[in-house]
Amino acid sequence: MEEFQYLIPEESSDAIISNVASLRKMEGYLRDIFTTYSYQEVLLPSFEYVDLYHNMDIGIEEERMFQFINHEGKRIALRADFTLPLARLYVTTCENEVQRYSYFGKVYRKEKKHKGRTNEFYQAGIELIGQKGTVGEKECMEIILKSLDCLGLKNVKLVLGSAKFYKRLLELVDDPNMEEIIHLRSFSMMKDLVRNKNIDGSLKELLLILPSSIGDINMIKDIEKIVEDDILKGALNELIELYQQQSIKDLSFDLCMVPSMKYYTGLMMRGYSPYCAQPIISGGRYDHLMHHFHKNVPAIGLSYDFHHILHALEMEEETND
Amino acid sequence: MIRIAITKGRIEKQVCRLLEKSGFDMTPIYQKDRELLIETDDGISMIFAKANDVLTFLEHGIVDIGFVGKDTLDESDFKDYYEILDLDIGKCYFAVAAYPEYRDKEWKRRKRIASKYVSVAKKYFNQKQEDVEIIKLEGSVELGPVVGLSDAIVDIVETGSTLKANGLEIIEKICDISTRMIVNKVSYVFKKDEILKIMNALERKDDENA
Repeated sequence: MEEFQYLIPEESSDAIISNVASLRKMEGYLRDIFTTYSYQEVLLPSFEYVDLYHNMDIGIEEERMFQFINHEGKRIALRADFTLPLARLYVTTCENEVQRYSYFGKVYRKEKKHKGRTNEFYQAGIELIGQKGTVGEKECMEIILKSLDCLGLKNVKLVLGSAKFYKRLLELVDDPNMEEIIHLRSFSMMKDLVRNKNIDGSLKELLLILPSSIGDINMIKDIEKIVEDDILKGALNELIELYQQQSIKDLSFDLCMVPSMKYYTGLMMRGYSPYCAQPIISGGRYDHLMHHFHKNVPAIGLSYDFHHILHALEMEEETND
Repeated sequence: MIRIAITKGRIEKQVCRLLEKSGFDMTPIYQKDRELLIETDDGISMIFAKANDVLTFLEHGIVDIGFVGKDTLDESDFKDYYEILDLDIGKCYFAVAAYPEYRDKEWKRRKRIASKYVSVAKKYFNQKQEDVEIIKLEGSVELGPVVGLSDAIVDIVETGSTLKANGLEIIEKICDISTRMIVNKVSYVFKKDEILKIMNALERKDDENA
């Protein structure tokens, strides 16, 4: 047994993070902000039926969950996501009213071995359920803005995308490779696709600039002029409207943003630090998730990844020295 | 400063030549001795690494851009990058190869396939709905059938001369391989213009051929 005495399993991240103090401080700031906006904090179970995640088809593959079989012979997973358990909480306790939840805790997903990635992610987040339209979007943006002030990160870029735009694009192009092309942002494959499918006119123009479409509001306005399809136009106008309604002027947009969770239906939000290879904030609107619970309730949510934020903070400090 | 990782060897030479052609100053690279990290006057910092390590550096955000073969990308389970450009160089392909008898043989047992590219082989036979046993070899995979360890191999084929010299034939082509320019997703958010400048420099070759 001796060889296991000093090692921690590869799955775990170091239990004592050197900067627990700053972690707790950030947590406190966020909790204050969430409370100001009347979000109620919930403590969720650590164990869930694998079927809860599986039946929802949310894009977390079964093999990425930590599982065991319980006394009923059912497969149980360590919590792999907060949104689904919260959606369940909502449908079991609420009729269609507006409800605000906040949470702090870990989710567990298996990552690749020997790549320096952890399998546990300490997250904080909110879900605003029952609120449709731009009101919810505006509130989330306000909260992000306030939180960026207190997280202490100097260099964060906020990028917005649209799941509506993405899904419509896939429908319009209707090609088995389209998803991969957008995923890879491949200029070469996009060119081939346009050529092979004889795509013409405004769609061709759009597709060819799509891989490079990260930019400010002017890029969105320019593309809005090119686009002819009503749904695409609508998705872009939603972004423009949102931009005009809130106070962050340094916003970026990414029309190639791929929904990280399958349940996203509209706005997607991500916050990036140049020192972190994954987004430190991510979220979006998910109006169809409740359909799985036979309810029609709009919702939007976002989450903060503390592990990544701490890493970014550390790096910012180091580079300043 | 834009940070690039290049697969050592042939890909390194070809990419550097292309960059030089479009006006980048590559002298510091050509003059390098055994240094693994070189900075050029154009604000490029380059490291030279094994193909899989190029992916690892990119994944961790150590570099913004990587140049690797499609074979490495196909075999890796890391998919969190943008693959913005097919450089159309270093072209070859994945194929199944075996002795000619392989084709018509009736199999009463699981076929054994030797390969360095276990994931590629697995995926290919899965698509064909064939259940095979895969044996990993690190190099000279052709030895598999020659010494009787495996019935066939899955490997990269460039000219096919090694296969031929050992009496092996291509049974089926799996997919094309060439050198790709990959980009760290977060770098693309912060340094898009610099990245696209390098991409455009490398893409120009396309028009010359057209």
